Amino acid sequence: MKFALRELLYGKKKYILIELLLVLLMFMVLFLCGLVEGLGRAVTSAIDNRVADYYILSDSAEKLITVSELPDGIINEVREKTNSEVTTLDIQRMYLQKQGEERKLNVIYFAIDANSFLAPSVIEGKTLEYSDKDNPIVLDDDFMAEDIHVGDIIIDSASGFEFNVVGFAKDEMYGHVSVGFITRDSYTQIRTRLNPQYGTTIHALAFKGKPDDLDMDGKELVKKQDIIDNIPSYRAEHLTITMIIYVLVIVSAIVIGVFYYIMTIQKRRQFGVMKAVGFGMGKLSAIVVSEVSLLSVFAAVVANIFTFAMSAVIPQKMPFHLLPADAVSVSAGFVLISIVSSLISIIHISRVDPIQAIGGNDE
Amino acid sequence: MSDILLQLNNVTKSFADGNGTQTVLDDISLAVKAGEFVAIVGPSGSGKSTLLSIAGLLLSPDSGDVIIGGNTMLNSKSNIRTAFRRKHIGFIFQTHQLLPYLKTKDQLLLFQDKEYNDSVTANDLLEDLGILECANKYPANMSGGERQRVAIARAFINDPDIILADEPTASLDATRGRYVVELIRNQTKKRGKAALMVTHDERVLDLTDRVLHLTDGKLRSM
Ligand SMILES: Nc1ncnc2c1ncn2[C@@H]1O[C@H](COP(=O)(O)OP(=O)(O)O)[C@@H](O)[C@H]1O
Ligand SMILES: [Mg+2]
Repeated sequence: MKFALRELLYGKKKYILIELLLVLLMFMVLFLCGLVEGLGRAVTSAIDNRVADYYILSDSAEKLITVSELPDGIINEVREKTNSEVTTLDIQRMYLQKQGEERKLNVIYFAIDANSFLAPSVIEGKTLEYSDKDNPIVLDDDFMAEDIHVGDIIIDSASGFEFNVVGFAKDEMYGHVSVGFITRDSYTQIRTRLNPQYGTTIHALAFKGKPDDLDMDGKELVKKQDIIDNIPSYRAEHLTITMIIYVLVIVSAIVIGVFYYIMTIQKRRQFGVMKAVGFGMGKLSAIVVSEVSLLSVFAAVVANIFTFAMSAVIPQKMPFHLLPADAVSVSAGFVLISIVSSLISIIHISRVDPIQAIGGNDE
Repeated sequence: MSDILLQLNNVTKSFADGNGTQTVLDDISLAVKAGEFVAIVGPSGSGKSTLLSIAGLLLSPDSGDVIIGGNTMLNSKSNIRTAFRRKHIGFIFQTHQLLPYLKTKDQLLLFQDKEYNDSVTANDLLEDLGILECANKYPANMSGGERQRVAIARAFINDPDIILADEPTASLDATRGRYVVELIRNQTKKRGKAALMVTHDERVLDLTDRVLHLTDGKLRSM
């Protein structure tokens, strides 16, 4: 480590350029990480944020809540058979408009029981449960950017049903659309207005904890993560960007490995002398690994600082959400692969013959 | 107990060249005692560096023995020989061969094997060699003579049995070259090492105890 630090500091002009390149690459990697998580959150956050662990869907729904259909009475049947907390969930895509405005806004209703565990907490206003307004709605905070405020009246475009905006919740999206939490009662009214024959069915049951032996005839018990993985477009987007991230991490690590290898070739003679005077491969490898670790850790740390600083000033609407855990694992992967890539330098050094130190005719 | 620190017994070394083999060292024997400073001279290509490489365990002879401080290391693995060189052999090369990124004191301290030996201190050596004021300088900021003196200090820092110098004055002018050889001589005497120096420089031979001529693969005393 002493050798490594001294050599890197002595040659800082040489190393600063490569560090710059590595910082840029790692910055790109971390930015993509934030983007994949951010985009992912835009698809899944409303499910992710729910404290439900399991859902029951109709088994023909293929784990997609929006196409599942369960008979209305099921909730009571289930309650009799299980001790787990259970509640209903309906998800419906619709349009909203502000009172007196033409502009239609996309919304996904999450119709819930106002005092169930599915109810969101709010960052502004009141929750569904504690609001004293009729037909309350709690909106995703992205609606704030649409000039909607607590106390406003908004209208369901198709049915003309009027909601009172009572609060805003943070980051509640489903399939790239912002969510509005409404009561089951409002939901039934809207459905009935649109279709007088609407016989009450529900999309899904949500459970806290795993429910015990239920009669699953025609129904399927689905884990929260499976629900998330089966939201349309989530998998495809997630996989593509994640692959790009891994490719970039590997490319960055190879850049460091190749750069270091070129430096090693230029220092052939120096390594020959070190071997001649008695530095073994153990010591020389340790120097190489320390130097590569220092170079890659430094680049990773600087890139992390940049990225997190940037994420603090990024506009609210941008789907960027960098998880510290992701940043750590990507950075650690980069450092590890860098160290592995330094192996070519170590192999090169192991082949240097110390005898070239003597004679010196090739100086 | 014998005070012979370096001993070559019947060392032979040949290299393959264009048409057959060339015997560079032909059955050479040599013994250097503690405190003795021996010079090897000879025409270019006569095998002086080859002899030094064999004495320094950097090259194995075709036959014969190399005994350093009573140890025969020729049959040891390369990593064991490398570790042995650090403790028992001090090398001084044609050019200083210092690490460009280390200050003088680190050239010594980071090379010193403290577990093995701490009787010799970097400070003493720098003082003996008159380069105490260079302790915090990088090689790039020192003169050629100063650098070579740091290289001498490095050769002595682990209190080795033998000192091997390959044309240590080649990169220096006559006055500085002579001074450097004087310093090698003084340290060799003071610290009781067996020193073997290859040189072209006739003008420093008076500083050595013995001069050996290498020609046609044979060593002859003068
Ligand atoms: N690795 C080698 N392969 C083939 N020939 C060599 C090798 N090393 C040295 N020689 C030959 O051995 C002879 C002695 O070389 P060297 O010991 O370097 O001489 P000196 O140091 O006296 O000038 C030269 O003719 C050189 O060409
Ligand atoms: Mg030579």
